Amino acid sequence: MAGHLELENLTRRFGELTALDHLSFSVPAGQVVGFLGPNGAGKTTTMRAIFGLTDLDAGTVRWNGAPVSQAERRRFGYMPEERGLYPGMLVADQLAYLGRLHGMSASAAAGAAGSWLDRLGIADRAGDKVESLSHGNQQRVQLAAALLHGPELLVLDEPLAGLDPPGIDTIGGVLVEEARAGCCVLFSSHQLDQVEDLCESVVIIDHGRLTTEGRVDDLATSGARRLVVRVEGVRDAAWARGVPGITVSEVDGGEVRLVLEESVDVDTVLRAAMAAGRVTTFVLERRRLSEVFREALR
Amino acid sequence: MIRLLAGAVIAGVVAVRIWFRVRRHRTTGGHRTGGGGRSRLPWAGVTGDVGLVASRELRERFRGRVFRVGTLFILAVVAGAIVIPTLTSSPARPRRLGVVGALPPATMASVTAAARGVGTTVVLVPEPSTASARAALHDGRIDAALVDGSEIVVEAPIRPGDTSATAQFVRAAASSLGVTRAFEAARLTPTQVATVAGARPLPVSSIQPGTGTGSAKSTSVVGLVLVFMMLTQYNTWILMGVMEEKSSRVIEVLLATVRPLQLLTGKVLGIGLVAFAQASLVVAFALALAEGVGSPLLHGTAPLVLVSTLLWLVLGYAFYCWVYAAAGSMVERQDQVQGLALPLSLPLVFGYITGLMAAGTGSASALVTVLAYVPLTAPFSMPVLVALGAVTWWQFTLSAVISIASTVAVARLAATVYRRAILRTGGRVRLRALFATGR
Repeated sequence: MAGHLELENLTRRFGELTALDHLSFSVPAGQVVGFLGPNGAGKTTTMRAIFGLTDLDAGTVRWNGAPVSQAERRRFGYMPEERGLYPGMLVADQLAYLGRLHGMSASAAAGAAGSWLDRLGIADRAGDKVESLSHGNQQRVQLAAALLHGPELLVLDEPLAGLDPPGIDTIGGVLVEEARAGCCVLFSSHQLDQVEDLCESVVIIDHGRLTTEGRVDDLATSGARRLVVRVEGVRDAAWARGVPGITVSEVDGGEVRLVLEESVDVDTVLRAAMAAGRVTTFVLERRRLSEVFREALR
Repeated sequence: MIRLLAGAVIAGVVAVRIWFRVRRHRTTGGHRTGGGGRSRLPWAGVTGDVGLVASRELRERFRGRVFRVGTLFILAVVAGAIVIPTLTSSPARPRRLGVVGALPPATMASVTAAARGVGTTVVLVPEPSTASARAALHDGRIDAALVDGSEIVVEAPIRPGDTSATAQFVRAAASSLGVTRAFEAARLTPTQVATVAGARPLPVSSIQPGTGTGSAKSTSVVGLVLVFMMLTQYNTWILMGVMEEKSSRVIEVLLATVRPLQLLTGKVLGIGLVAFAQASLVVAFALALAEGVGSPLLHGTAPLVLVSTLLWLVLGYAFYCWVYAAAGSMVERQDQVQGLALPLSLPLVFGYITGLMAAGTGSASALVTVLAYVPLTAPFSMPVLVALGAVTWWQFTLSAVISIASTVAVARLAATVYRRAILRTGGRVRLRALFATGR
């Protein structure tokens, strides 16, 4: 079932506005890929383009090397940003219906609906109307709708938005499990800490263009080294400002984040810190995703 | 004839249910394999999706309280319309006439003819004396008493405006017996008097084409109300159903797997089948009830009017459903719907009112005759022309063909509007914008 998604040169204009500008990236099988970008960057338009929900001015969406058609889309799972379920329909009926639209038999769809509701912890709500469910539970039903038919590609637009920590853990856990089982997972989010925890790779776009793409580990360890230093009793970073080749990126309650140039020796920094007082923290830090994100948008 | 029609309608409803069950079995299929378990016929995926969407509509609508309560309400109204007139006129119950003294054949023929003339029958009850006849009248065992062929006695005075069956019979009998006595006084032989007394009225024919029977006209009025109610209700369902899918954003999930045209077709087909099932149920119920209580509503050409009304309900729905679906795809809020509902309902209301007026006056005006060929108003005008006997089969067929051809054109246009508008959110979509820039 492994497959990979390729977006090639996607371009979409709405009048004067260019929502997607020759955007290309790929999503490999077995990975959870975070899709990041500021508001209005074109994330939702990209996801809608994968499902043919918006016309493209140019570009192709490919699945395993071939242009995506309706038959392939039936094997994909989609969770739109603005959740979509029939408010007055019973949860189990709704899932069974959506499963059947994905080509499942009636009994298989009903069975899958039951087991997913069970797995997401809302089996007792199967006979309730969707509109009677809380936001978090509606989101779980929406995820079940995307997963029901065992999709080869899962595209989720802000699946974690508005969830409480247990909800994030449940849905995040499911996404990782699906990827481990060979599914291709692409999801967008503004919660960068969670993206860092869940994703192997990220794609960052801005103004409809690709800015950064790669594995989270590679992005975190690439670029300049970062040091976190705390000197007892010192609240500012005056001691560091004199050291050549160092940039102070952040001072937070006595904890100083430094960006080191290639030529700077870590020992030099340690000596400068010790000269200022007793050093209680001295850690070589990975770049956080939020920093990668900010740099990508610069 | 009526039993045959009722049977056909019920058989149709059963056939539709079986068809859906078979479709459901036929379209069962695979999981994860991307349709490996689906039927291998190339068109099966398309009809399967349309069938799935339609059967969801059927299931959800049948399950809804609105539908069940609405159906019961319509049945109650129809039952009232059929039963109440038969209760007030009571044509089925014969009048009981007490007879004191001898009853010559001429007098008997005269009484029977008088009863037939006012649409009833008479049972003669011999009474030994005037006193016993008065007692029987008082107890209600007889409706009137004929004493010695020379006087009619009733319980209460008969007022000039009284239209009850007894009053009509007594007036007719009194008049008829008076004439019979006059013939006897003119010394006609008893056989001659009997012949004259049993006279039947002459048939009356007109130079202009027939204006239909009274019962056919009444049936066409009932049919007009039914068509108007159903077209309004089911088209509103289409409008609101499409809008709900758009406003709840479920449309994105649906269109990620099915094509817009499949979704649209499934929806109008599903709701259309609900409408047809309900209409068939109402018609079958009306036929069975009218037959049971001996209502004149279905006599003469009325069954033909009923069949043409049903046919035009289907044609009218087929035409309007696309228009309402396209309109629904352009709005996403209740207040936006209100702005569309009025202009959409105008042709329906116009056709309905002109149809009612024609059925009321009993003559087909030039306007109604023209409207019978316009697809927007034909569902109302054409059944009325049938009821008035003012249309030939080829004219009927021509109008149906015009309607079907227009439906095809409207459906194509509506599908384009729907496809372009359904995913546009954030305010009412304008037609001009839709065709200026594409989706």
